Amino acid sequence: MNRKLTWMLLFGIAALFTQCKDSGDEVEADDENELITSVTLTFTEVGTGAVTTFAYKDPDGDGGNAPTKFDTISLKANTSYTLTPAFLDESKTPIDDITAEIKEKAYEHLLVYTPNPTTLLTYAYGDQDTNGYPIGLTGTAKAGAAGTGTLKVQLRHQPNAKNGTITPGSDDVNLDFNLKVK
Amino acid sequence: MKKYFYICLIILVSSLSHGQNSSCTCFIKGVIRDLHSGQPIAGATILLTGTTNGVFTDEKGKYEIRNLCPGIYQLEARIVGYSTYKQTIDLIISHEENFTLLEQEVHLKDVEITAQRTDAPASQPLTTLSGNDLEQTRGQTLGESLKGISGVTSMQTGSSISKPVIHGLHSNRVLIMNNGVRQEGQQWGSEHAPEIDPFVATRLSVIKGAAGVRYGSDAIGGVILVEPEELPFNKTLSGEVNLVGFTNGRQGVSSSTLQGGIKGLPGFGWRAQGTIKQGGNIRTPNYFLDNTGISEKNFSLGAGYRNKGFGIDLFYSRFDTKIGIFSGSHIGSITDLLNVINNGEPFVKSGFSYTIGRPNQNVTHDLLKAETHYNFQNGNRLQWTIAQQVNHRNEYDLHIPRNDSIAALNHPELTFKLNTLTNDVTWDHKPIAGKIAGQIGVSTLYQYNLMTGRPLIPNFNQFNIGVFWIERYVKNDWEFEAGLRYDYRTLSTHRIVSRQKISNHFDFHNGSGTIGATRNFTGNLSARLNAGTAWRAPNVSELFSDGVHHGAAAFEKGDSTLHPEKAFNSIASIKYASEKLTIEIGGYFNYIKDFIYLKPQPQPILTVRGAFPYFKYTQTDASFKGIDISAAWQFVKNFSATSKLSYLKAYDTRNDNYLVMIPANRWDNQLKYEIPLLANLHNVFFSVGNLWVARQKRVPPKSDFMPPPAAYSLWNIQAGGTIHLSAKQQLEIGVSIQNLFNTVYRDYMNRFRYYSDDIGRNASLRLKWKFGA
Repeated sequence: MNRKLTWMLLFGIAALFTQCKDSGDEVEADDENELITSVTLTFTEVGTGAVTTFAYKDPDGDGGNAPTKFDTISLKANTSYTLTPAFLDESKTPIDDITAEIKEKAYEHLLVYTPNPTTLLTYAYGDQDTNGYPIGLTGTAKAGAAGTGTLKVQLRHQPNAKNGTITPGSDDVNLDFNLKVK
Repeated sequence: MKKYFYICLIILVSSLSHGQNSSCTCFIKGVIRDLHSGQPIAGATILLTGTTNGVFTDEKGKYEIRNLCPGIYQLEARIVGYSTYKQTIDLIISHEENFTLLEQEVHLKDVEITAQRTDAPASQPLTTLSGNDLEQTRGQTLGESLKGISGVTSMQTGSSISKPVIHGLHSNRVLIMNNGVRQEGQQWGSEHAPEIDPFVATRLSVIKGAAGVRYGSDAIGGVILVEPEELPFNKTLSGEVNLVGFTNGRQGVSSSTLQGGIKGLPGFGWRAQGTIKQGGNIRTPNYFLDNTGISEKNFSLGAGYRNKGFGIDLFYSRFDTKIGIFSGSHIGSITDLLNVINNGEPFVKSGFSYTIGRPNQNVTHDLLKAETHYNFQNGNRLQWTIAQQVNHRNEYDLHIPRNDSIAALNHPELTFKLNTLTNDVTWDHKPIAGKIAGQIGVSTLYQYNLMTGRPLIPNFNQFNIGVFWIERYVKNDWEFEAGLRYDYRTLSTHRIVSRQKISNHFDFHNGSGTIGATRNFTGNLSARLNAGTAWRAPNVSELFSDGVHHGAAAFEKGDSTLHPEKAFNSIASIKYASEKLTIEIGGYFNYIKDFIYLKPQPQPILTVRGAFPYFKYTQTDASFKGIDISAAWQFVKNFSATSKLSYLKAYDTRNDNYLVMIPANRWDNQLKYEIPLLANLHNVFFSVGNLWVARQKRVPPKSDFMPPPAAYSLWNIQAGGTIHLSAKQQLEIGVSIQNLFNTVYRDYMNRFRYYSDDIGRNASLRLKWKFGA
């Protein structure tokens, strides 16, 4: 009896020195609510309706593997295009359509297209949010004279601060596509 | 692991004249006893500073110093395992008529001395903030409170998140012992402040330099001890109420304590304490910072029992904070960051508000501790401390999910749940030959972390066991100390990569050692020398980080092949202390082999938010050399000047370069005027101070988005006093103004230096009502 008690006591004390929980049993997949893994720019030539698309793809998000695709935008000189961007989060199942979410929350998003040099392209917004500010989910891009440079595509997230300028908020997308006009 | 233990030192002060002309026949004698066990303490050193006299207590705890001339002496009692106690003693030659009387009747003076038990290495510099110095920091965070100690600075994320930095090292390299328990939060993060309410403590101490042998691995930079007062065993009800108000942030802090013994139940003591803090947006000299409020609710409960040599203490504390993070500090890309830097001030404008919106941190930390000890009749002592800590950290990002139904749930974007169980068993052996005392101990730590949200660190399980042995030897004016420790740690991590669960396993083990000496020269001079080693295993963020750190605009990547870093620390100090002048000069050299740091990579890394500078956790060899000087001088009656200088040079010796995020040199000066009694006010003081912080010139070239901020100089004024309301009640009042001239400045160690200026003028009023014993 006494011996039993001693053993129980020893066991009890031993239990105080250990814990049994395996953090591996409860491991959860990363969940980044703002992740964007692909940006696709669709240029539709005004008149002919010819469609060309250029994309940036990083399916596993920041880090891990390097981006799998980062196209050079190739446009015809002195030609007008309708530019529609598309954003996806392909890390989720089902694939998360970020474009739809931007449309839904148009009053806090702004797309900005900045060519460098500026002579390569001129952009005109073709849409407006409920407050009358541009969005940039559709617009006209007119290629200028032949040359090479870059086109910076920015998705500005401007909650409660959107005023039609680029300044408020922060970047959700900031990509410098190489741009070739010929 | 560490608890207070009181001893009672009874000194019989007496003077005798045998009718001889020689007046140097006074003597001091007494017994040193342990208050709880009642056992005499053998081998304690009794020194009279200013003389060559020094004796030891015998097996019965008795000591005697003879042939003393009348005069004022500083009696110093040094007991291994206890902090040094000092007392001024006035020896007066007796009159003729006293001759016939028994010495006890006339000259017996019972002086009760309570010395606080400490495990801090005796040969390492230990600076303590207590009493009035601590009172002046009330209402501030732990990191801010410690900034007054030379060699200690803070690393900040805005004004509300502050982490202590000792000799240039911080986060996982500084260990915090909260009430005897190793604090385990998510301390790897630069924006994760210690989850401790400083009102719990009556003493904040800093051990500078590697103290790995006693406190375990990771203590490369130093150890911070947060210690409450001993529970009021057998005492009557007492308490205090603190009220602090700050103009900046319109912050109010209230903290109360109630404590006492239990009538009719001898040996019991209890304490209850709680703190509430509420603050709003911080104001820099020119603008408010949006969403920088803070809300905190903490409480602690303690109870204990003492009976002869046996003692048990139970302690529970809860720390609950919600801290707003300045919304202008959220950036998406480097372009965003460069725009804010070029603008010179934040784009986000704000007025005053108490509302805490996104982004914010919501952290709770629970600590449950039981400590029990037994003092054996023969002088041995056994102590066991078991503690459970649960740390829950929720971080809410600025942006809610775009999907409305998910956004409505208002989930944190990051959640960490860290659970830690620690056990410490220490055995203090009885003094050998009255001269050697020592301690042997075993510490274990079991920990698991669960995290959800955006990718940052993996889940992990960690187990650590360490054994140590420290011995101290006292001989005449010398005190030697040596110790050894061995630690073994296993770490398992679990994460999901491309929908696959990947588990990794790591084993780390290492030995560490310490050796030190203290020499008390005749007079007021003493010197200390300590050499020690410590090591630190890489933490999970250093092993597995992989993503953009949005606060720093950097892409940080971990390396799972990192091995532990090892520190070789030597620290020497010399101290002169007289009644009017105290000077302490300390020098240190800390060499860290395989120092883990973020190394800039030549190629930036491309993300959907553009290219980010790419940093990889890499190992190098680093040296930290520095000097701390502090001096206090009472140059005229009632007037005193204090000066503290901290100099530090850190260098990457393998790559022949400087290191980033090293605190700049600083010089702190203060002039104080004290009046012991002014009308009804006791201990009245006025002081004016200046803090000068140099520009950090030693930075690697092109390592930063903006050059380190310019040097700055801040002025402050303080005043205070105490009103004795009755024999058992007193009211302490203090006022202060920090950044008196509303100086615009930025600090290199503040991670928000890119976004905004630092905090502007801040006036505060402190009231403390104390009642009872």
